[in-house]
Amino acid sequence: MPREIITLQVGQCGNQIGMEFWKQLCLEHGISKDGILEDFATQGGDRKDVFFYQADDQHYIPRALLIDLEPRVINGIQNSEYRNLYNHENIFVSDHGGGAGNNWASGYHQGKGVEEDIMDMIDREADGSDSLEGFVLCHSIAGGTGSGMGSYLLETLNDRYSKKLVQTYSVFPNQMETSDVVVQPYNSLLTLKRLTLNADCVVVLDNTALNRIAVERLHLSNPTFAQTNSLVSTVMSASTTTLRYPGYMNNDLVGLLASLIPTPRCHFLMTGYTPLTVERQANVIRKTTVLDVMRRLLQTKNIMVSSYARTKEASQAKYISILNIIQGEVDPTQVHESLQRIRERKLVNFIEWGPASIQVALSRKSPYVQTAHRVSGLMLASHTSIRHLFSKCLSQYEKLRKKQAFLDNYRKFPMFADNDLSEFDESRDIIESLVDEYKACESPDYIKWGMEDPDHVLTGEGNSTGTVDPKLTV
Amino acid sequence: MDEEDQHKVADLIKELVLRLLSRNPNSDSQQPTNSNSLAFHNSLRYAVRILSSRLTPSITSDSAAIAESIKRRLATQGKSSQALTFAELYTKFASKTGPGSVNNKWAVIYLLNIISEDRKTIKSQLDSSVLLPNLPLKDDELGNVSPVLRGRGKQEKGWNNGVLLVAKDPENMRDIAFREFVSLVKEENAVSEEVLVRDVLYACQGIDGNYVKFDSNADGYVLPDSIKVPRATRIMVRKLCELGWLFRKVKGYISESMSQFPAEDVGTVGQAFCAALQDELSEYYKLLAVLEAQSMNPIPLVSDSANSGNYLSLRRLSVWFAEPMVKMRLMAVLVDKCKVLKGGAMAGAIHLHAQHGDPLVHEFMRCLLRRVCSPLFEMVRSWVLEGELEDIFAEFFVVGQPVKAESLWREGYMLHAGMLPSFISQSLAQRILRTGKSINFLRVCCEDRGWAETATEAAAAAGTSTRRGGLGYGETDALESLVDEAAKRIDKHLLDVIYNRYKFKEHCLAIKRYLLLGQGDFVQYLMDIVGPELSEPANTISSFQLAGLLETAIRASNAQYDDPDILDRLRVKMMPHGTGDRGWDVFSLEYDARVPLDTVFTESVMAKYLRIFNFLWKLRRVEHALIGAWKTMKPNCITSHSFTKLQQAVKLQLVSTLRRCQVLWDEMNHFVTNLQYYIMFEVLEVSWSNLSNEMEVAKDLDDLLAAHDKYLHSIVEKSLLGERSQSLYKSLFVLFDLILRFRSHADRLYEGIHELQARTESSLPSREKRKSQKQNVRPSEPGSWISDGRKALTQRANEFLRTMGQDLDAIAKEYSSLLEDFISQLPIQLHVDLKFLLFRLDFTEFYSRWHPTT
Repeated sequence: MPREIITLQVGQCGNQIGMEFWKQLCLEHGISKDGILEDFATQGGDRKDVFFYQADDQHYIPRALLIDLEPRVINGIQNSEYRNLYNHENIFVSDHGGGAGNNWASGYHQGKGVEEDIMDMIDREADGSDSLEGFVLCHSIAGGTGSGMGSYLLETLNDRYSKKLVQTYSVFPNQMETSDVVVQPYNSLLTLKRLTLNADCVVVLDNTALNRIAVERLHLSNPTFAQTNSLVSTVMSASTTTLRYPGYMNNDLVGLLASLIPTPRCHFLMTGYTPLTVERQANVIRKTTVLDVMRRLLQTKNIMVSSYARTKEASQAKYISILNIIQGEVDPTQVHESLQRIRERKLVNFIEWGPASIQVALSRKSPYVQTAHRVSGLMLASHTSIRHLFSKCLSQYEKLRKKQAFLDNYRKFPMFADNDLSEFDESRDIIESLVDEYKACESPDYIKWGMEDPDHVLTGEGNSTGTVDPKLTV
Repeated sequence: MDEEDQHKVADLIKELVLRLLSRNPNSDSQQPTNSNSLAFHNSLRYAVRILSSRLTPSITSDSAAIAESIKRRLATQGKSSQALTFAELYTKFASKTGPGSVNNKWAVIYLLNIISEDRKTIKSQLDSSVLLPNLPLKDDELGNVSPVLRGRGKQEKGWNNGVLLVAKDPENMRDIAFREFVSLVKEENAVSEEVLVRDVLYACQGIDGNYVKFDSNADGYVLPDSIKVPRATRIMVRKLCELGWLFRKVKGYISESMSQFPAEDVGTVGQAFCAALQDELSEYYKLLAVLEAQSMNPIPLVSDSANSGNYLSLRRLSVWFAEPMVKMRLMAVLVDKCKVLKGGAMAGAIHLHAQHGDPLVHEFMRCLLRRVCSPLFEMVRSWVLEGELEDIFAEFFVVGQPVKAESLWREGYMLHAGMLPSFISQSLAQRILRTGKSINFLRVCCEDRGWAETATEAAAAAGTSTRRGGLGYGETDALESLVDEAAKRIDKHLLDVIYNRYKFKEHCLAIKRYLLLGQGDFVQYLMDIVGPELSEPANTISSFQLAGLLETAIRASNAQYDDPDILDRLRVKMMPHGTGDRGWDVFSLEYDARVPLDTVFTESVMAKYLRIFNFLWKLRRVEHALIGAWKTMKPNCITSHSFTKLQQAVKLQLVSTLRRCQVLWDEMNHFVTNLQYYIMFEVLEVSWSNLSNEMEVAKDLDDLLAAHDKYLHSIVEKSLLGERSQSLYKSLFVLFDLILRFRSHADRLYEGIHELQARTESSLPSREKRKSQKQNVRPSEPGSWISDGRKALTQRANEFLRTMGQDLDAIAKEYSSLLEDFISQLPIQLHVDLKFLLFRLDFTEFYSRWHPTT
């Protein structure tokens, strides 16, 4: 019962980061580009069956579905050297190949149209596993396919596999540069609603922050998608090491996520990774001890989510939970020392309404991937400052919405037919209440939050910056 | 001496003096000296004095030697014919014996020789005064000057060659006195000294002599009082006979031991001791034989000692006996000491006497000990190099006892302190014990043959051979180096065998992975599949079925890649169960260590592992339960968001109840997770890394056992399973049970909510559902929700949520008081450092902030 995880890569971005992810997994498990186990990799003690299954000829095949509405990226994969890795039955490209035109509604609608085909594929994969643990969805929230079709898939999975976990790796658009997708705020908002309601865990990959990290930390003047995607694949593979290299704890996804997400609504996770390197780039090698790694992970510059918080708000932001996955040769006694140091220096601000602590999972490093660093670490954290990201989405949406701009594209589709824009309003309400809940988490009285005046939360209009009535935070 | 002779001599002297005086060239008066003149009288007196003096020339009284020297002198002067003549004449002269012949032949020849030599000097010096000792003429010189001083005066005048001819007087006064003394002695002594000497010699061989006999009352050889001897002699005899007494004692011990020999109480060391004593005695016999031969010579009188052969007197005997006496005394003392001892104890007792400043004694003891200890050292050698316990008489300081293979190492062999000679130190003895034990362990438990080569190597390195008798007393350094070499190599070999052939590390790791739940995926899967089974009453559970499930768990997890030998040893164990026990209470895993590793993993060790397993298993079960609870309340569950359209009051209560449940869950999860982290980092991994380090440096099996014991002990203590943590452990289990209770409450709560939801949905399908099914239908007005069943439903929901809320509150209250109690106990555990646990639980100072008393 390997607690299998099925990966769904939807849309251009989803397939790109998915492909990087599988590349990385193949490297770490010693699986060749054709899915054949390398000779040196037979004694690993690793668990490949969480993410792969073996075909009759012993080839390792990823439990992955490649879904897109346009063929470009998937064709690229099929022409790459990894073409034999994937199960061709698991690749879905819409017949017309026209894509979703960066329109959430189009993606959502098309998703509904091909539901049966895709669910057949998912069911087949699910039936092929002994004890399916859940699904991982890779997508971006800004475009059309990943956001729209991804949203539809989330709802369907939630409905059909309600007992299974649904985790997403969601790429948030780069806010720093003008996007060619003008309706990005609409798409983001609509997707965020599904992420809030239908996903169990959302790992937020903020392109803004990824770019910033690539520029600042990796000194790339003009980071390419491939480079940021390699950051993403590093994070994705690192966050699954405890599943792939079983140890004393955190050997299943649910165990990993349960402690990270004590309050169901606040299931958006930030990540941080150190030390970062990109392929073919000789970085300055720094000393890596557990303490160094853990301290760096707490620095905002290493966090892969931008914080739009103002200073005052930033100082109030609190960690709901932290899990550090430390890979490499680590003396277990160092962990305690590092924790002690972090506490002494008050480097971390935790919620006050309940006990919390930095959880540390030690994991083996793949013996087949040579890294210059002795120790590397991934942080998965639930932090209240993430609400500022949502507030930003909300404010950008409000701007567009006020102008009633670009709504026609949406009205073409049944969900918004007859000028029914209630879906937008509902999504906005839900995101707003999410922002409120995160804000409430910063207060010690979170337990009582929403009890005195529930109407406020559910009906009140949040302002565009996402701040809430200060009396709630007392 | 008769009168006639006396007169004859006096007349002859007178005549001689007269002649000399008359021919003295120095005399002034030419008138013939008459016998009445003063000068004549003075000279006569002087001559008599010279002749009656006992001055003798400093030459041996050997006539043949003088004759020879004369002959040779003549020959060297070229007068060979004269020499021949002299030789002929001398033979004739010497052969003349019997009455009328010259008595003192050598004296005559000597006199003649002197005279002839004097003549020659006169010829050369023309000094006639040297012809004979010049008789002083001045009267006044005689009266007040002593002869000695006068003699000096003469010397000053150059009379160096003056010869004093002294004739021995057989009728000497001294001689007479001796004769009188001897007769006196003979009168006083009933027994002659020769006889006594012989008796003493007999006595010293333990045989009664004619006079000296053993008297059991006096416990010694005595000369009976009836025999008349002087006191001094009596005492002397007694002293000398002490040797006899000592001899009797030693001899008695030897013969007693020898006759007893095959019986148990003597032993090889005792035998060697006897043999050494026997050798000493035969040396002693030799001495006695020589002495006995000497005692046959008569004891001469003091006067004729010069030409008497070797004879023995009591005094001489006492000199002869001085050394044997010392040795015999030592032997007797040793015999006394060793009477009841044997083996190593005997050697030790003897060794105590060897520390002696007298080199004679020291050397003697050293030789004796070499002999005595040789069997002992042979035992050490064969024990250390071959592991053989050749000790039929229980003399060795290592004692073996028949035990089962698993306890061979711990109980199979012991040091016998009583048999440990003091010249072998305790630590050396320990090493000796362990080395032989290692060999036996290798032989019996590991079925290993490689140690023999190792032992040969060790012997070669130590410079001794594996043959018998390579070592001896006094070579403790050699022994130590042999033992060290052997120990080093054998121990290393043993560890190699344990590590490589029996894969000790791998088994330790396997135990850590399976019994200490280190293999997370396996444990998880096992928990998943045996969980339902274990919820049944214990007596209905079949262990066969559980074994099958265990097998499944292995096959399904990464454990399947483990060594089949290791997996084969993993078993399900059902502990004895009482009524009312659930499967959870009796289920456990066990690991079959097998020979020889069961020496490390003894039953008591495995019992400890079992306790740790039970604790960790329970912890896992609680964690599992909490994760299960989380699954029912996970973010995308319908319960999280589908009640937005419920009636306000109900919704409020629902949100409140859910939040309480979530927060309580969070707190419990925090506790369990951090306890787990604590167990993993601070307990298991730290202990394991210590063990690994100690395994690397372990030099022998004892080190290894100690390291493993330490490892286990540290886990037991830190996991709160120790004796002194019982109250903590109890409160921990109460907490666990409470968490399990919370789980069932949470399940009921969510079940209820699902039911509520189902009812709500049946009357009013949720907006989402509707939307995905029929997008074109507009949702009905919120007001239309109110239907007939609505009120009752709301009421029931209210009721349900209230009771659930109360239950949760009760649990939360109980939990926080229990936890507070638990946390407050942590800092006061003095015997085990739990600050790490406290640190983790209270990382954000949540507890110390809310409960400042803790």
